[in-house]
Amino acid sequence: MKRLVYFIVSTLLLVSCGKKTQTIELNSPDDLAGHSVATIAGCAYEKDLSSRTDINCQLYNSSSDLLQALLSGQTEIAMYDEVVYNAIIRKEYGIKIAMLGDQSFPTAFLFRKDDSELVRTFNAVQRRMIEDGTMQKLIDFWLTDKFAEAESYTHIPAETSGEPLRVATVLSTAPISFMVDGEWYGIEIDLIRELAKELHRPLEIKLYDNASGFMAVQSGQADILCGIVFVTPERQEKFLFSEPYHSYHTAYFVLDHDAESQDHGFIAGIKKGINKTLFVENRWRLIVDGLLKTLKISIVAILLGSLLGVGLYSMANSRRKWLRSCAKVYRSFISGIPELVLLLVMFYVVFANTGVSPDIVAIITFALFFASGASHIYKASLDAIPCGQTEAGLALGFTKSQSFFKIVLPQAFRIGLPLYKGQCISLLKGTSIVGYIAIQDITRAGDIIRSRTFDAIVPLLFVTILYFLLVWLIGALIKLASPKKNVL
Amino acid sequence: MITVSHLSKIFHNPDGSNVQVLKDVNCEISPGEVISIIGPSGTGKSTLLRALNLLDPPTGGSILFNGENILEKNYPVHKMRQKMGMVFQNFNLFDHLTVLENVIFAPCKIHKENIEKAREEGLALLRKVGMAEKADVYPSNLSGGQKQRVAIARCLAMKPEVILFDEPTSALDPTMVGEVLSVIRQLAKEGMTMLIVTHEMKFARDVSTRIFYMQDGIIYEDGTPQQIFEAPVRSATKAFVQRIRKEVFQIEGKDFDYLDMESRIRQFCIKYNIADRCDMALQATNLMLKDIMAAYIPITVRITFSELSGETFMDFMVEGLETSPLQANNPSMDKLRAFCSEIIEEPTSRGFRIKLRIG
Repeated sequence: MKRLVYFIVSTLLLVSCGKKTQTIELNSPDDLAGHSVATIAGCAYEKDLSSRTDINCQLYNSSSDLLQALLSGQTEIAMYDEVVYNAIIRKEYGIKIAMLGDQSFPTAFLFRKDDSELVRTFNAVQRRMIEDGTMQKLIDFWLTDKFAEAESYTHIPAETSGEPLRVATVLSTAPISFMVDGEWYGIEIDLIRELAKELHRPLEIKLYDNASGFMAVQSGQADILCGIVFVTPERQEKFLFSEPYHSYHTAYFVLDHDAESQDHGFIAGIKKGINKTLFVENRWRLIVDGLLKTLKISIVAILLGSLLGVGLYSMANSRRKWLRSCAKVYRSFISGIPELVLLLVMFYVVFANTGVSPDIVAIITFALFFASGASHIYKASLDAIPCGQTEAGLALGFTKSQSFFKIVLPQAFRIGLPLYKGQCISLLKGTSIVGYIAIQDITRAGDIIRSRTFDAIVPLLFVTILYFLLVWLIGALIKLASPKKNVL
Repeated sequence: MITVSHLSKIFHNPDGSNVQVLKDVNCEISPGEVISIIGPSGTGKSTLLRALNLLDPPTGGSILFNGENILEKNYPVHKMRQKMGMVFQNFNLFDHLTVLENVIFAPCKIHKENIEKAREEGLALLRKVGMAEKADVYPSNLSGGQKQRVAIARCLAMKPEVILFDEPTSALDPTMVGEVLSVIRQLAKEGMTMLIVTHEMKFARDVSTRIFYMQDGIIYEDGTPQQIFEAPVRSATKAFVQRIRKEVFQIEGKDFDYLDMESRIRQFCIKYNIADRCDMALQATNLMLKDIMAAYIPITVRITFSELSGETFMDFMVEGLETSPLQANNPSMDKLRAFCSEIIEEPTSRGFRIKLRIG
C-alpha cells in the first residue's frame, strides 16, 4: 500500500509541470516559420508541413494526442480539421483558430480495391439520402451549431445477426465518429448505419490509429475506413472511394492565453477529471472492459507461452542437431524483432483475410515472445541444479521421473520463479501495444476516454495505477500457483 | 549377496574416443563384509561402485543381487537401489529440505510411511550420527563433515542391506574426516555390509574385513587387511601400500615465504592424521633453518610420511656440501636432540643431507 502511495505521488509530480507564454498570431502560411507545428501522422496534409524546412514539424497518432500536445505546450500550433476542433472549442479549452488553411479536402469513405460492389451500394444509399434531404439534416445536426451533447443522439437500430460490416475508424472525436457509453455516434457513423440497414448487416466498429487503419482495410481486417478520410490521388491508386459527402477545411489552432482561464486549481481539476474519466457516459465500463481484456490476453499468452517454452526448451536441448538449430533460429528471430512489429506483421500479413480475431492474434504473438524467454528461464534454473541431486534421488530408490519431479523441479522452481515473474510482468506491460490492432485494452480505453474528455492527466493516471495493480495481481497469482513450502 | 562376474565399463567420450575403465571385475560379496576398495587414482574404484547400483550401467558382464540378475531388461532398478544405499563424495543433500526432511523424504515418498513415525525414526538416525540437534537446519548451514553424517543417516533411513561409500571423506576438510570415519566405524561394528572406496589407508586397515586393491580396471589383489598391507603378494600392491607421502620446499634465499611453508607443513600433518607431530616438525624446521643451518642457504627441505609404517621424517639437503654442517657444540643441537629420536647425517650424490626422525 505504501508503495502505491509513493507511486501516485511521484506520478502526480511528473504530470503537474506546465508553463505559460504569449498567444501566437498567424496571418499567412509564412508566419509558421520558426514555430513548432503538429498534425496527425499519415493525414492528407501531413506532407505540406513536413516538406517545409523552416518549421519544426511534429506528427501525432490521434486527434486527442494532438490536442494534448497543444494544451501541454509540446507544440505551439496544431493543424487539423476545422470542424473537429470547432467542436472542441465549444467546450472551452482555451484554444482558438489562428488561421484557416488554404485548402479544403473532399472527404469520403474508403474501401478495398476489389470491393466495388459495396462502393456502388454505398453510393446509391448516399445519393438517395441527398435526394430525400436526410443528408442535409445530418449535416445540419452534426456540422453546425445545432450539434449538442449526449442525450439527443439517436441512431437507427442495427441488425444483430449475419456477417458483420467491419468498420475501421481512425477518429474518435465529435462530431465525426466518437464513443459515448459504449456506442459509436457521429455523422460518418450515421452514414454507415444507413448502409448497414440497406444491407441488413450488423455493424462492428473498431478504432485504429491513422496509419494502421489503412492497413486494416488493405489486409481485409476491415471493410470500410472512416474518420475524415480525404480523397487524394495517391490513395485512389490503392483503394476505392465512395462519392465525397462533404469537404472539410484545415485550420491552425493555437492556445488562447488571453481567454479567461478555466483553471480551478490542481485538486479541483483532478476531481473534475476523475468525474469525467469514470462517471460521465459510464466511462468506467470502458476501463473495466479494457482491464479484463488486458488480463485475458496476458494470462492466456503466459499459459500458452509457458507450454511453448517447454517445447522450445526440449528442442534447444535435443540430441538432434536440426532441432537445436531450429530452436536457435527461432530464438534469434524473436530476440531481433520488436514486439510491436511482430504484432503488426501477424495481424496484417500472417492472419490477413483469415477472420481470426485480433485477441487471438495478440495472444499468439505474445506467447511466441514469452516462449523464447521462458525456455531460457527453464534452462537456467534446471542447469543450476547439480546432477548430483538426481543421482542422490536415484540412489535412494526414486525412479527417473520421480527424481525429476520430486527433487529437481521443486529446487529449479525456486531459482526460476523470480525470473519467470519478471517475464510475466514485462509481458503484461508489453500488451499495452495491442491497441495498434484495434483491441480495446486498458491503454486503448484510456485513449478513447482522453479523446472524449481531452484531459490527459486523469485517464493516464488511472491507466498507470491499473497496470500497477495488474502487476501486483500477476505476482499474487504466481505466488498462489507456486509449490508450497511443506514438501512432505 | 552380490556376485560380480566379468564386469566391464567403457566410457564414450564426446570426441569419439573410448576409455575402458573397468576391464574384467569379478568378486563375491557376502552379508556383513566391510570391503575397502583402494588403489591409485583413475583405476575404476568409483566406477565399480557406480556400476553396482547402475548409476553408470556397465558395458558387459553380470551382477547378481540376492540371486537376481539386475542387468536384465525391465528389471526394477529403483527397487534394487532401495536396498543398496549410496553415500557420495559430495554428499548431494537436498538443499531445499531441512536435515530431518532430507532423512525422511525417501521413506515418506517411496514407502508412503506415516510422517510422524518417519520423524521419530529419522530423529533416532540423526541421534546415531550425532546430528539430532541440527534436525531443523538447512544443509547450507552445515560443515562438510556434518553434511556427510546427514547423508549417511539419509541412506540408513531406507534400511538398505548394503551401503556403497564413494570416497566419503575426499571432499572434506582434513579436520572433519575423523567424525565421518567414526560413524562408518560404528556401522561396521553393527555388522552393516559396506563397500568403501577410500584413500584413508589407516582407516581401511582398521575397519575392513577385506580389501580390494584395484589397478588397470581389475581387482588386482583381494585379501584381508593383514595380507594386503603387511604381506602383499603382487609388487604393484606393495608399491602402493608402502608408498611414501611427501612435501618438498626449495628455500632459494632469505626472502623465502616461511609462513606459507609453516602452514603447508601443518596441512600435511593434518591430512595424514599426524597432527600430534605437527609442533615437533615446525620446531625442528625452525631450529634448523634459523639457527643450526642458517649459513647454508639455498637448502631443500622435505617432510615425508609412510602410510604403512607411520614413520615421519624431515630432510634438510644442501647441494655441493661434503661434510656435515652440524656442530656438536652448538647449544641448539641439544634442543633438537630433545625431540628428535634419531638424527642421521649422510652424504648424497649431490651434496649432504640431515635426516630427522619426528615422533
